[in-house]
Amino acid sequence: MMLLTLLLLIPFLGSLLITLLPGDRSSDFYRRVCVVVLSVQCLASVGLLVPFDASEAGLQLVETFAWLPSIGLDYALAVDGLSMPLVLMNGVLCLVSALASRQVENRPRIYFALLLVISGAVNGAFLAQNLLLFFIFYELELIPLWMLIAVWGGGNRAYASTKFLIVTAVSGMLILGAFLGMALLTGSVDFGLNPIVPGALPMATQLVLMGALLIGFGIKIPLFPFHTWLPDAHTEASTPVSVLLAGVLLKLGTYGLLRFCLGLFPEAWHLAAPWLAGWAAVSVLYGSLAAIAQTDMKRMVAYSSVGHMGYVLLAAAAATPLGLIGALFQMVSHGLISAILFLVVGVVYERTGTRDLTVLRGLLNPQRGLPLSGTLMIIGVMASAGIPGMAGFISEFLIFRGSLQAFPLATLLSMVGSGLTAVYFLLLVNRAFFGRLAIASGADPNPKVLLPVPLGQQMPAILLSLSILVLGLAPHLLVGLSEAATTGLSQIAVTQFSGGLS
Amino acid sequence: MTATQTQTALIPDLDVLISRLLADEPLLADTPDHLLQVVNVLESYGIVLDAYSKNLVYQGETQLLNPFPVMRFFHEGFSLERLWKHLVGDRINFEYAEYCQKAMFWHATGGMDAYFDTAPFLEACDRIIRLRCRRDPLMAVVNRLFPAFAPESIRSLTTIYALGLFWRVMSDLFIDLAHRYRIGEVACVNDVVHHIRDGLVAAAANPITYQVSEGGEQIWLLPPEAGLTFLGDVAVPYVEAVFFRGMPFLGTVSYNAQAQQISPDQGSFRYGALYADPIPSMGAGIPPSLCMQDMFRNLPEELSHWYDSHGRGQVDAHVQICVSFQKSMFCVTNGAIAGTMPHPLDSNDLEAQQANRDHARAWAERLMGCRREALI
Amino acid sequence: MLLALPWAAGWFRRDAHRPAAYLNIVLTLLAFVHGSLVLRDVMAFGPATLHFPWLTVADLQLDLSFSLSLTNVVALELITGLSLVSQFYSLGYLDKEWALARFFALLGFFEGAMSGVVLSDTLFQSYFLLEMLTLSTYLLVGFWYAQPLVITAARDAFLTKRVGDVLLLMGVVALAAFAGVMGFDDLYAWAATDSLSPLATTLIGLGLIAGPMGKCAQFPMHLWLDEAMEGPNPASILRNSVVVTCGAIVLLKVMPLLQHAPVTLVVLQVVGAISAIGGSLVSIAQVDIKRTLSYSTTAYLGLVFIAIALQVPVLALLLLFSHAVSKALLSMSVGGVIAATNCQDITELGGLGGRMPATTSAFLVGSAGLVGLLPLGGFLCLAQSVELIGGRSAGLVVVFLLTNALTALNLTRVFRHLFLGQPLLKTRRAVEVNWQMAFPMVALSVIVILTPVLLIRLESLDGLLAFPLWAAALVVGSGVVGMVAGTLVPLSKAWSRSINPWLRWFQDLLAYDFYTERFYRITIVNVVAGFSQLASAFDRVVVDGLLHGMARFSLQSAEGLKLSISGRSQTYVLTVVAAILLFLTSLSWLLR
Repeated sequence: MMLLTLLLLIPFLGSLLITLLPGDRSSDFYRRVCVVVLSVQCLASVGLLVPFDASEAGLQLVETFAWLPSIGLDYALAVDGLSMPLVLMNGVLCLVSALASRQVENRPRIYFALLLVISGAVNGAFLAQNLLLFFIFYELELIPLWMLIAVWGGGNRAYASTKFLIVTAVSGMLILGAFLGMALLTGSVDFGLNPIVPGALPMATQLVLMGALLIGFGIKIPLFPFHTWLPDAHTEASTPVSVLLAGVLLKLGTYGLLRFCLGLFPEAWHLAAPWLAGWAAVSVLYGSLAAIAQTDMKRMVAYSSVGHMGYVLLAAAAATPLGLIGALFQMVSHGLISAILFLVVGVVYERTGTRDLTVLRGLLNPQRGLPLSGTLMIIGVMASAGIPGMAGFISEFLIFRGSLQAFPLATLLSMVGSGLTAVYFLLLVNRAFFGRLAIASGADPNPKVLLPVPLGQQMPAILLSLSILVLGLAPHLLVGLSEAATTGLSQIAVTQFSGGLS
Repeated sequence: MTATQTQTALIPDLDVLISRLLADEPLLADTPDHLLQVVNVLESYGIVLDAYSKNLVYQGETQLLNPFPVMRFFHEGFSLERLWKHLVGDRINFEYAEYCQKAMFWHATGGMDAYFDTAPFLEACDRIIRLRCRRDPLMAVVNRLFPAFAPESIRSLTTIYALGLFWRVMSDLFIDLAHRYRIGEVACVNDVVHHIRDGLVAAAANPITYQVSEGGEQIWLLPPEAGLTFLGDVAVPYVEAVFFRGMPFLGTVSYNAQAQQISPDQGSFRYGALYADPIPSMGAGIPPSLCMQDMFRNLPEELSHWYDSHGRGQVDAHVQICVSFQKSMFCVTNGAIAGTMPHPLDSNDLEAQQANRDHARAWAERLMGCRREALI
Repeated sequence: MLLALPWAAGWFRRDAHRPAAYLNIVLTLLAFVHGSLVLRDVMAFGPATLHFPWLTVADLQLDLSFSLSLTNVVALELITGLSLVSQFYSLGYLDKEWALARFFALLGFFEGAMSGVVLSDTLFQSYFLLEMLTLSTYLLVGFWYAQPLVITAARDAFLTKRVGDVLLLMGVVALAAFAGVMGFDDLYAWAATDSLSPLATTLIGLGLIAGPMGKCAQFPMHLWLDEAMEGPNPASILRNSVVVTCGAIVLLKVMPLLQHAPVTLVVLQVVGAISAIGGSLVSIAQVDIKRTLSYSTTAYLGLVFIAIALQVPVLALLLLFSHAVSKALLSMSVGGVIAATNCQDITELGGLGGRMPATTSAFLVGSAGLVGLLPLGGFLCLAQSVELIGGRSAGLVVVFLLTNALTALNLTRVFRHLFLGQPLLKTRRAVEVNWQMAFPMVALSVIVILTPVLLIRLESLDGLLAFPLWAAALVVGSGVVGMVAGTLVPLSKAWSRSINPWLRWFQDLLAYDFYTERFYRITIVNVVAGFSQLASAFDRVVVDGLLHGMARFSLQSAEGLKLSISGRSQTYVLTVVAAILLFLTSLSWLLR
C-alpha cells in the first residue's frame, strides 16, 4: 500500500497530464480534468481514514526509502493525527479552488497544471518525515503560487507577487539554514524528525536555530510584523488562489511551527514560550485592529487571518494537550471559514466589480442583490467571530481554555481580539449587505443589473458552511482524529525535561 | 457613464410636464416598450383588482361589526381545499387590499371622509349599534365602555366597501384596455392615457352608495341623497392616499420619534406609489411586495417573455414588475389629470386656456418630487 | 428527547412564506403544552436532570445537561407561552410582510435558544446558548435590513452584548481552567472549597456578571435595548419581557458562585440601583412609545439585579415573572397603537381610548400588573420586596419605591398621551387592530389579571401574601404618588422643551439617555478606531517601508524577477525546474 505516495502521485501526474496533453483545448476542458484529478485525490485522502488509527499517537503508514543518502535526503512519508486533518483539508480546498476557477482565459493549461503542483507539494509537505524532504516540498509550492499571482493576478500583481516571492524566499532560507545548522551542529545528517535531546546542544544555539525556524514559519503564518505580504498577495490574487493561500498554504506555517519548532526544540520552546505568547497576543490584536481600518473586503479578510493565526501561536506556546488540539482545530476551521469568506468576496467582486466597502451597499436585496452570498457571508463571519454552534467557537474555546493557566494575560488579550473580530466583520456585513442596494458611488447610485449567480457556483461555499456547522455541533469528529497525536506532541514538550509545565 | 448622464438630462422638468399635459401628450415617453409594459402590467393588475374588489365588497356585505373576521377572505365560499390553499399562500394576498384601504381611511381626505362626521351617518351608525346590541351582549358591553369603537369600525368598513366599488370600475377598465390592445385599438401610450381618461370620465358621476342590513332592517350608510360620486369622493382620495402620500414602510423608514424621519403632518407624506423606490421590492418590510406577487402570478405571457430578456430575467421579475407598475401608475395619474381638466384642451377661450394651464401646473408641481426617472 | 421540541422550531429557515409561520406557531404550541405536562410532573415528582455527554478532550469534559427544576420549567413555560402569544400577534402585526418566513424562522431560533438557556444546567452550555441569543437578536433586530437605523441598531445590539459575552467567556474559560468542571452543582461545590486569590475570584465574578448585564440591558450596557426598538414589534415584545429574563436567570444560576466574591455583589447592587432609578427617569423623558417601555424594562431588571445581589432568588423570580407578562402586554398594546396610527411619537397621538377597546384595556391591565398599586403581580412582588429587603438595607427599599413611583408616573403620562385627550391629525381615523393582534392581547390581559393566582399556586412561592401591612401601604403609597404626579404633569403636544435652562438641560439629559451614546462614541469607538488607523498606518509606513528598503537593497534580483513575469509560458516551467535543481544542487554542495 503506497497510499501516501499515491497522494503525491495523483496531483503530480495530473499536472503532467495537463501539461502534455496534445492540442489546444478550452479552459473548461482543463478545468474538468483538474477537477477530476483533485476529486480522485480528495477521495484518496478520505480513503486514508480507513487504515488510519486515530488512537495511535505516533506516525503511521510510514513509507521510506533512501533517496540521496549522501546528503541525508530520505524519501520518508508518514501521517499522524496532526497531518491527517490537514491533508484532508488540502484535498477539499484544492478541489474547491479548482471548481472556483471559472474565468481562466489566459493560458489555462499552465494554470491548472500549477494548481495541481501546489496541491501535490502541500500534501508532500504535510506528509514528509524528513526535514529536507519537507523543505523541498515547502519550496516547491512557493513558485507555482508566485506564478499564479504574478500571471493571473490583479492590476498590481507585479508588486504583490515580487513581495510574496522575496519574503517567502527569505522564509525558506531561514528554514533551510536552521535545518542545515541542526545537521551540522548535532553532527548527524539523517534529517529525521528527532527532537533535540536536552543538553545535546547549548541552549543559546538551540534558541538561535529555533529563532530562525520561528521567523521562517512566522513569515508564512504570517505573524506580525512579517505579515504585510499577505494582504497584498490576497488583493492581487484571484479568488481560487486566495482560497488556496488562506486555506492551505498558511497552514504550512502553523504546521511547521508545531511540528518543527515545538517538536524539535522542546527545551528552547519552553524557555521562549512566555515571549511567544506575548507575540501571539500582539499579533492577534494588531491583525484585528488593522482589519477594522480596511475598506477593501479582501484586505479585511486577509488581516483577519493574521489575527486568527495568532491564536495558533498562543496555543502552541502553552503546549497543553487541550491547547494543541485547539490549535489544530483552529487551523482546520480557519481554513474552511476563510475559504467561504474568500469565495463570497470573490462572487461579490465578480458581479459588482468592486470590493470597496465605502461603495457597496445592500447586497442582501432579495431580487437584485446577492442574497445567497449574503447569507453565506453572515454564516462565515459569525463562524469567524466565534459564535457557538460553528467550528470557530470550538477552536477558540479550546485554545483559550488550554492557554489561560499558562499565560493568563496573553490569553485575555487574545480574547479581546476575538471580540474585535466581531467588530470588523459586522462592519463588513452591515456596510456591504445591509441597507439599500447600491454598487456605484456618486449621487445616483442606481445599480446596474447584476448577473444572477448560478446555484452550482455557490455549492462549494454552501457545503463548506455546512461542514462548519457540523464541526461546530459535533466537534468530536475532528477532535477524535487528532487527540492522540496532539497529546503526544504536548508530551514531548513536557517530558523532555523534568518539571514539565508549571 | 455617458448613459447615466444623458438619462439625467432627459428627466422631464416642470415645463416639459406642463407642456405635455397641455399638448395632450403622455407624460410617459411614448415608446413601444412602454406600451407593452404598461398595458400588460395593467392587465395583470386588473385581474388582481377584480379579486380585491370582489373581496372588499364581500367584506362590506358580510363583516359588519364582526369581532373575529376569520373567514373574511373567502368570498368564493368556504371549502377545505380553499382553506388549504389559503394557508399555504397559494392565493391572492388580500392583505394588500386592506393595506390600501387603511391608507385611504387613515389619510382621511375627500367627500366620503367628510360625510363620516355628519349627523345622518352618525345616526345610521347609532341605529346599527342599537340593533346589534340587542342580540349581542359582548357588543353591548364594549359599546358602553368604548363608545367610539363601533362607529369607527363601521366607518372603516364603509371605506372597504367603497374601495371595492372603485376597484370594480378600475379592474374592468384595465381588462378592457388589454382587450383593445390585443385587437389593435390601442397602439401607443397616448391611447392608453386616453382610454383611462375616458373610462374615468364615463364613471365620474357614478353614485357611491352603501346599504347594510342589521336585525332585519335595511340601513343606508351612504345613501344616494349624500350625493357621493365615483371620481371626486373615492378616486381622488384614493390617488391622494395611495399614489402620493402612502404610509412609511417599516422596512425603509425609521418610526423612531427622536429620529424624526417621519413628518408630523400626513399631508406632506411622500411614501406613495409615484415616489416608490422599486429596488427594495420583495425585501422585508415593504408591503407592496404582496401586490407585486399577486401581479406576478397573473402576469400576461407577453410581458413575462419581455422580462426574460431584461434585467436579470425571471430572477428579478418582481422588481421589474414594480418598475413597470410605477410607469403604468403615472399613466393612470395622467388619465386622471386629463379627465379633470376644467376645459377642453382645444378651447380657444383665453380664460379657459389659463384655467387649464393652472390645473396642469398644479399637478405638474405635485409630480416634480415623484420618481420622474420612471417617465424616461 | 422531547425537550428538544422548542429547538425544532428553529428548523424552518427560509422555505415557504406563510406555512413556515403556521408551522412555527404549531410547534411553539406543542412545546408549550409539552412544557406544561413536564411542569405537572415536576410538581408531582420533583426535579429531574437530563444529561448527555458532548465533547471529551484531554482534560476537558463538556456535557449537555438540562435541569428540570421547578424554577427552570416555570421559566420555560413563560418563554414558550409568551412566544406563542407574540407569534400569534405577529401574524396580525406583520400580515403585509413578505419575508414572514424568515421572521418566523428567526423567532423559532430565538425561542429555542432562550428555552435552552433557562433549562441549561452547565455554565458552558449557558454561555453557548447566550451567544446564540446574541446572534439571533442581531438577526431579528436587523430583520428590516434595508433601513439605516436598523443597521446601526443591529450592530450596536450585537456589539454591546458581545462585549458582555466576551467578558463572560473570560469568566467561563477561567472557571473551566481552574475548577475543571462546568456543571452548576459541581461549580457550587468547587467554589465552596476553592483556593483562588481574592483578586482572581473577583475578576471571575465580574466576568460572570458582565454577560447577564449585557443581556438585561443594565447600565452601562443598556443602550442596545433602546436601539433594538427599531426591530419589528413582536420581537420587541419578547426582548422586553423574556430575553431580559433569560439573562437574569443565568445570573441567578451563577449567584451561588458570586457569594465568594463580595465585590461583585456590591457592583450588582450599584448597577441595579443606577439602572432602576436612571432607567425610570430616562423613560419619563422619552417621546417614543416603544422607548418609554424599553427604559422601564432596564429599570425593573435593575430591581431584579438588586434582589439577586441580596441573595433573595424567590424575589427575583417573582419580579421576573410579573414583569415579563405585564411588559409583554404593554408592548403588545403599544404595537397596536403603532399599527393603527403609523406613528410612535406620543406627542402626535391622542384620543385613541374610546376607539380601541382591546389596545386600551391591554395597556391599562399591563400597567396595573407592572406598578404596585392594584393587587396584581407587581404589587405582590414589590410588597414582598419591601418586606424582604427592608431588613437588610433601607436605602434599597427607597430605590424600589422610587422606581415604582416613577414607573407609575411614566405609564400614567403615556396613557394620557395615547388614549385621552382630543384626537390629533394622525389619530383622527384609527380603527382597532385586526383580530390576530386583538385576540392575544385579550388573552394575555386575562393572564396578567390572574397572575396573583398563578404565583400563589406555585408551591415554592408559598408565603407570598405574608408581608406586613406597612409594606403594602408603602408600595401603594408610592404608586399613588406616581400616578397622581403623572396625572397632574402638563402634557406638551408639541415636543417643546422647558424654558428654564436648568430644567431644559435636565430634560435633554434624560431624553438623550444621559448622552450615553455620545459618550461611547467619544470614548470607546474613537479609541478603537484610532488604534486601528494607527495599526494600518504602521503597516503601510513602518513595516512596508522597511520591507521596501530591503527590496531596494536587492533591487536587481527583484527587477530580474519582474522582467521574467512578462515572458512566455515555457519560461515559467523552466524557472520552476531550474529553481528546484538549484535548491537540490546547493544542498548537495553544502553537505558534501
